[in-house]
Amino acid sequence: MMSLERSPRTTAERDEPILEVRNLQTAFFTEKETIRAVDDVSFDIRPGETVGIVGESGSGKSVTARSIMGLVDSPGRILQGSSIRFGHVETVREYAEAFPNRTVDLESLRAEYDPNDFFARAAVDVRPTDLGYERADDVPLEDVVAAGYGDALGVGDGDCVFVTDGSPESPSSIADGFVELTRLDGEAQRRMRGGRIAMVFQDPLTSLNPVYTVGNQIKEALRLHQGLRGEAATREAAELLEDVGIPDARRRVNEYPHQFSGGMRQRAVIAMALACEPELLICDEPTTALDVTIQAQILDLLAELQEERDLAMMFITHDMGVIAEISHRVNVMYAGEVVETAGVNDLFADPKHPYTRGLLQSIPGRQEGDRLQTIEGNVPTPNQPATHCRFAPRCPKAFADCEAVHPASVPVEEGATDHTAACLLYPEELPTAEAVARHRRRADTETRGDTE
Amino acid sequence: MSRWGYFFRRLLLSIPVLFLVMTFIFVLLRMGPVDPVAARLGPEATGAEAARMRERLGLNDPLWEQYVDFVTDFLVLDLGQSWVVYADWEVTTIVMNSGPPTLWLGFWAILLPLFIGIPLGFYAGLRPNSWSDYTASVSGILWQAMPNFWLCIILLAVLRQTQGGGWLGFDWYAFGPEIRSITGTPSLDFLSWSNPFGAVPFPTGIDWSALAVDVKLILPPALVLGSASMAAELRIGRTAILETINSNYVETARAKGLKSRAIVWKHVFRNALIPLVPVITNEAFLLIGGSVIVESIFNINGLGRIFFRAMVQGDLPLAGALLFIFTLIIIFLNIVQDFLYTIIDPRVGYER
Ligand code: SF4
Repeated sequence: MMSLERSPRTTAERDEPILEVRNLQTAFFTEKETIRAVDDVSFDIRPGETVGIVGESGSGKSVTARSIMGLVDSPGRILQGSSIRFGHVETVREYAEAFPNRTVDLESLRAEYDPNDFFARAAVDVRPTDLGYERADDVPLEDVVAAGYGDALGVGDGDCVFVTDGSPESPSSIADGFVELTRLDGEAQRRMRGGRIAMVFQDPLTSLNPVYTVGNQIKEALRLHQGLRGEAATREAAELLEDVGIPDARRRVNEYPHQFSGGMRQRAVIAMALACEPELLICDEPTTALDVTIQAQILDLLAELQEERDLAMMFITHDMGVIAEISHRVNVMYAGEVVETAGVNDLFADPKHPYTRGLLQSIPGRQEGDRLQTIEGNVPTPNQPATHCRFAPRCPKAFADCEAVHPASVPVEEGATDHTAACLLYPEELPTAEAVARHRRRADTETRGDTE
Repeated sequence: MSRWGYFFRRLLLSIPVLFLVMTFIFVLLRMGPVDPVAARLGPEATGAEAARMRERLGLNDPLWEQYVDFVTDFLVLDLGQSWVVYADWEVTTIVMNSGPPTLWLGFWAILLPLFIGIPLGFYAGLRPNSWSDYTASVSGILWQAMPNFWLCIILLAVLRQTQGGGWLGFDWYAFGPEIRSITGTPSLDFLSWSNPFGAVPFPTGIDWSALAVDVKLILPPALVLGSASMAAELRIGRTAILETINSNYVETARAKGLKSRAIVWKHVFRNALIPLVPVITNEAFLLIGGSVIVESIFNINGLGRIFFRAMVQGDLPLAGALLFIFTLIIIFLNIVQDFLYTIIDPRVGYER
């Protein structure tokens, strides 16, 4: 069932990432405890690329997706220092035009920004290590403002569009920049949702409103983002249904969700998500509720649509088989952290992190002996900042230091920038003691915040 | 099956119910504890007079013939005569006289909760765990916990206190249209009728001040009668909103970029109404029972009060006929309920 023939595109041949997630931290504040559902997650998505996020339930996959969509509800909150940058140039131009008051020209700010001086200021309560850098000198201005520490430089509360190349005054001249998703609200946020980033949810049976026709719900999106109404909208909706492989689309447009089968409903949901031609499609376990044959059809459909439209896709699942089928790059999440990142071939051929290995072993037909191996135990609820490896209690390779040092994401071996793991055993070429020392140094600077 | 096929099947189902109730009333009348002859002539009546009465009432015919007569009479709304309460009056006349005040009361007792209970419940549901939510929910429970007869008396006492300027100078008697007594039967003659199209009278004008008096008279008893429904609708409305808000299709709608106002009006309200439909109609059934007490205390000469007197005085034909009318009302409400379902929820009648 594994098909690995699809070649992952390497980062170098692809253009700039369309989405950059940096140090994303999303926490839920309850009376009893603070649950750090997403704890310092970073990854990129490029146009035409599918990035898989895999992990057991409770690993923070869905919260990551919701954070990108701005759908995290109270008592949950994205913490300061997190940044999700949407780098699609046309979107940046459109936003600069629509929200001139929320647009900042980073070029003109750069003159005032001196990293060493900035981090030394008393009013600035952020350290370079919080942003993932060891030294203040290395921290680019973009990271500072995107993470929400720009007020000391005069960035306003509502500012969310940052232009790095071109002038905000004439939007068409903008050649580079980004929209910071964590700073969006109101109209700016609604335009992004559905219009630029669309999402397909897990359960097709309940993600359509039962009292309106499927066509009505697709047309709602069309009217919102493309201003289509009446006949034109109906025609477009039928076309979309046809595109996602629903036969007799002209008639089915006027049917209610309960008249569709599960697989057809998920197709309709996908049609709705694509209605506004988003750049990025987030799929949150879109096939989990469907049976295996339908699941394969939906995966094929998504791959096909991606090809046609050069969509960037983020695909969340707990199913390693599905990940192998659809993604180009994979992020393995565990207890709110990304523990391993690699191209899909590398990951399946040469998994490094003990958790990834465990996951792969629990796929039927892949393990050695006759018995299906599973990882004992459950994902812990991350309610404290990590001071050790969160996987240690379940890890077959755990050793004493795993309880004392928090592993940082490092290349699995010299020069393997495309394959990182957060485990004290890596980088592989170093003797373990040295590797541990390196992780400890990283962890120490993060907790103590020495900026020397 | 189509939505409307479902509706008509439900409609047909009410026919057996009607026959069941008629049979029950028949059994009650003919085999019940009260002898119809004695009830009319007094317990001492004997001999020729009683025999003549038996003959006149058809009590000597075979039972099945009596049953057929009885059912046909009821179906053409010839409901017989009262024995005791309004001796020898046609029940139909009594109903024509006392029905309108009861309908008027029932109308307001359904309307008030509908327009107070549901909006409050929706409001609370949209702001869960806020102070306005707590206030609405707690007062809803308190309101529901107070029995009708008790509420009646307290409300009457409070309103009477205000005569001649009570709390903050508020005087219920002088507030709006003047009334002399806060209880009594509304006259309901605010419509002027004429027959421009031949035999059928047609309302041609409204006397607004008479209408105002009638409304003012009915508000306190309607408030009491509707109190339970109001609280129930508030509670269920709140839960329905909460459930709908957390549903996946609302999240999908948010992910589409809809404004929250559009989401609430289009996606939340209509779905939240579905669980409210049975609550509204069920509460309407309860009104019939409640009207017996409320009409008695508020001195309204309506069907509820007459039913009560007919039961107490053993006036079985009157009680039976009223029971039949109540059944008709309930069947009608059931039909309304199915109709509402059919309109709001496209899944009605859909079998997978
Ligand atoms: S750091 Fe230790 S416990 Fe954690 S995955 Fe690596 S070996 Fe296992």
